[in-house]
Amino acid sequence: MKAKSRLLSAPYTVWMTIFIVLPMLLVAWFAFTDRAGHFTLENILSVGQYSNVFLRSIWLGAVATFISLVMGYPLAYIISKMSAKRQSVMVMLVMLPMWMNFLLRTYAWMTLLEDNGLINAALRALGFNGIHMINTAGAVVLGMVYNYIPYMILPLYSVLTKIDQSVIEAAEDLGANSRQVFFKVVVPMSMPGIISGVTMVFVPAVSTFIISKMLGGGANLLIGDLIDMQFLGSAYNPNLGSAISLVLMVIILICMGIMNQFDDGEPGEGGVLL
Amino acid sequence: MKKTGGRIYTFLVFLFLYAPILVLIVFSFNDTETASRTVWSGFSFKWYQKLFEDRLILEALRNTLLIAVIAAAASTVLGTVAAVGINSMKRLPQRILMNITNFPMVNPEIVTGVSMMLLFVFAVGLFGGRSLGMGSIIAAHITFCLPYVILSVLPKLRQMDPNLYEAAQDLGCPPVKAFFKVVLPEIMPGVVTGMIMAFTLSIDDFVISYFTSGTTQTLPIYIYSMTRKRVSPEINALSTVLFAVVMALLIVVNVRQGRGRRPAKEEG
Amino acid sequence: MNNTILSLQNIAVSYGGEQVLGGFHLDIQDGEFVTLLGPSGCGKTTVLRTIGGFIQPDAGDVFFYGKNITALPPHKREVNTIFQKYALFPHLNVYDNIAFGMRIKGKNEREIKATVHEMLSMVNLTGYAHRGISQLSGGQQQRVAIARALANEPKVLLLDEPLGALDLKLRKDMQVELKKIQQQTGITFVFVTHDQEEALSMSDTVVVMDGGDIQQIGTPTDIYNEPKNAFVADFIGESNILDGLMLEDYSVRFAGHTFQCLDKGFGKNTPVDVVIRPEDIDVVQADSTHITGEVTAVTFKGVHYEIIVDVAGFKWMIQSTDFRAVGDRIGLSLTPDDIHVMAKSEYSGRFGDYSTFSDEMDEDMQAAGEEEGKADEG
Repeated sequence: MKAKSRLLSAPYTVWMTIFIVLPMLLVAWFAFTDRAGHFTLENILSVGQYSNVFLRSIWLGAVATFISLVMGYPLAYIISKMSAKRQSVMVMLVMLPMWMNFLLRTYAWMTLLEDNGLINAALRALGFNGIHMINTAGAVVLGMVYNYIPYMILPLYSVLTKIDQSVIEAAEDLGANSRQVFFKVVVPMSMPGIISGVTMVFVPAVSTFIISKMLGGGANLLIGDLIDMQFLGSAYNPNLGSAISLVLMVIILICMGIMNQFDDGEPGEGGVLL
Repeated sequence: MKKTGGRIYTFLVFLFLYAPILVLIVFSFNDTETASRTVWSGFSFKWYQKLFEDRLILEALRNTLLIAVIAAAASTVLGTVAAVGINSMKRLPQRILMNITNFPMVNPEIVTGVSMMLLFVFAVGLFGGRSLGMGSIIAAHITFCLPYVILSVLPKLRQMDPNLYEAAQDLGCPPVKAFFKVVLPEIMPGVVTGMIMAFTLSIDDFVISYFTSGTTQTLPIYIYSMTRKRVSPEINALSTVLFAVVMALLIVVNVRQGRGRRPAKEEG
Repeated sequence: MNNTILSLQNIAVSYGGEQVLGGFHLDIQDGEFVTLLGPSGCGKTTVLRTIGGFIQPDAGDVFFYGKNITALPPHKREVNTIFQKYALFPHLNVYDNIAFGMRIKGKNEREIKATVHEMLSMVNLTGYAHRGISQLSGGQQQRVAIARALANEPKVLLLDEPLGALDLKLRKDMQVELKKIQQQTGITFVFVTHDQEEALSMSDTVVVMDGGDIQQIGTPTDIYNEPKNAFVADFIGESNILDGLMLEDYSVRFAGHTFQCLDKGFGKNTPVDVVIRPEDIDVVQADSTHITGEVTAVTFKGVHYEIIVDVAGFKWMIQSTDFRAVGDRIGLSLTPDDIHVMAKSEYSGRFGDYSTFSDEMDEDMQAAGEEEGKADEG
């Protein structure tokens, strides 16, 4: 009987082979061939000339991830201490903005940050000079934090709320004051949440191309923009685009590998949210 | 002391999360002739009127809904059936298949997008025909929705008493009928959650559609082009409408989950 | 009196408007093994958590060596707790769990290492230092919890039903081991349980609680042999509890006859409760004694038979090594030593005879007892 029901996953296996595995193999193939289809390392090697774009992406993504963590952790902690009923309302409120289209959320910041935008209008009304905010690296980071911070808060919250109260009491019992309880017990125990939060913010932040386009102007080109340009943009070159994609994947894999070094607990705790 | 500090902090974070959306909504009612997005010149519904007269938007909306309905239905059926299969698989093949399932969820969206674009272009090169359009978007959407369906159905299957299915057969129920009579009702909450997630993800998707759509317009793609060229409060009106719809949908989902206790979503 | 280590005075605690403790008094002597014993919701865990500092009483004071520590937070009390589900830190291994408290205190690592290894050998876990918590069995986790608490050199160790999650055999072993550790270290143990057997076999002093009040404090033998009221008699061991009339000192009338007894001081013609333990009753020929009845049920228990005898409508329980068949008429013989007289209390009449007795009920009681931990925690 079991053998028969195992066959039920066959259509899915075929589907995923065609639409996930095969495309990835194509990316690899394109990355290592030229337009005529001959093997070449040129694409991969020429990725090197975009190292400044890669560094900028990783740097901005890392900064955004760090800000999300520092901003999101206290909120997740505060929510986890609330009554069960308020917790679910708060979680809803954290998730709600995510259900608004990503482009519209980013567009909203455009209207706020523009030179003639609301923030500058307000500053001027108060008698200050306006600040140039749009099309800067700061605006890009802001957009990343704004769009992805819920992905940080939710896994943190789900780990924090699972921490057994008696473990915290045990730490107090053994002489730890509230600071020590927090740093020696709560933070280490929420490590799986921190890791999945960091991954879930860093990966989309590092590979975005919309945020940089809308808030960063032309000056803050990211890896995503580079890939976009090779496939749908002016610089049409899918071979180079594939090579860049491949390098991006490898970079993310390495980053995740480093992150997982911090997680010596059991896998699967906290888990990936969404 | 500590408590008020916490409250102020919570308020500030939520202000950060909601202020832009609020501004967007407020300015959708702005009665302005110019494209100015920051000067308030009176209350008006005119951008909503314009929105509903905009042929392109309506067509994009129709495409988006059509794609979402088909992608959600197909991925729910395919994913549920697959979950049943995966659940009874041996350890090793199960792990391999689950890794493939998780892959598109951790892989950068843009890479998934361009890889599928390569696939479709490549397929056209081999077999001919039209490459990018409704067909390719739908296939792409089914693909990225499938993992979410599987990850919401699988926990329900694991929770289920394996003897249930056997008991039904023991009582004379043929296997297929036993599935529909006993297994499906048990995992229904997961199936429904998966379907709703697939639907909303599909409606919301931009990156993958962007690379696989060709010239077909979906709502997110249209929004993207609006933000690129002309800036019009029509976008604000559109955002407000979408936000209201999403709110309504969320409330429905939450009422459902309230009844089904733990949301399967968190296990995903 | 002068070596009282802990003293609870006039403690009142309520949860959500419901009073759990009110005007509660308890003195605990240095070096004692004290057990708080009682059914679900009797307030025993609340007492423990009040001592640990996890509950702030609404009223009353907690004294530690005569010093008022009521307002002291848990981390400043020289008291450590073994939690019901151990509450080991899952992110730390065995060694780091045990070292936790000492590191908080800032001891040097050499000293810590020595203590950890000493503790590990005390709880028979030498060689487990670098295991992860999730790799340990329930019994091993239990031992780590004990080692972790003892490494902090507490003056008092609080144990909240620590053996509840273990299976029967392991529980028996741990009982012996805990008692040994207590005697070795001389630390005062305050132990909470709903298992009367556990309480009797381990403690120096048993505190029987019900409804937030202490019903009786005494040594295990006192509690068993001289229960103060029907509740204690029923909760500890099996008892036949009969209505009686104390005619005068050393003479009590029950079951239609007058018996000699060893009790005095109740006054003349005072209604009392009479307790007779099933194992004290001798089975004799019918009509050779005052009490005669018909056997209605017999259960083989291994060591003895449990025989239910209907004597003029009151069902007695007797434990006897001799088999009697259902339907036999037998006589019950009592010596003055077997009869224990108690003053009437609010519990009188609540515990009747064994007419509804069955094994199932016993199991129900146990299940209720196991649930109590959670209810008590609340």
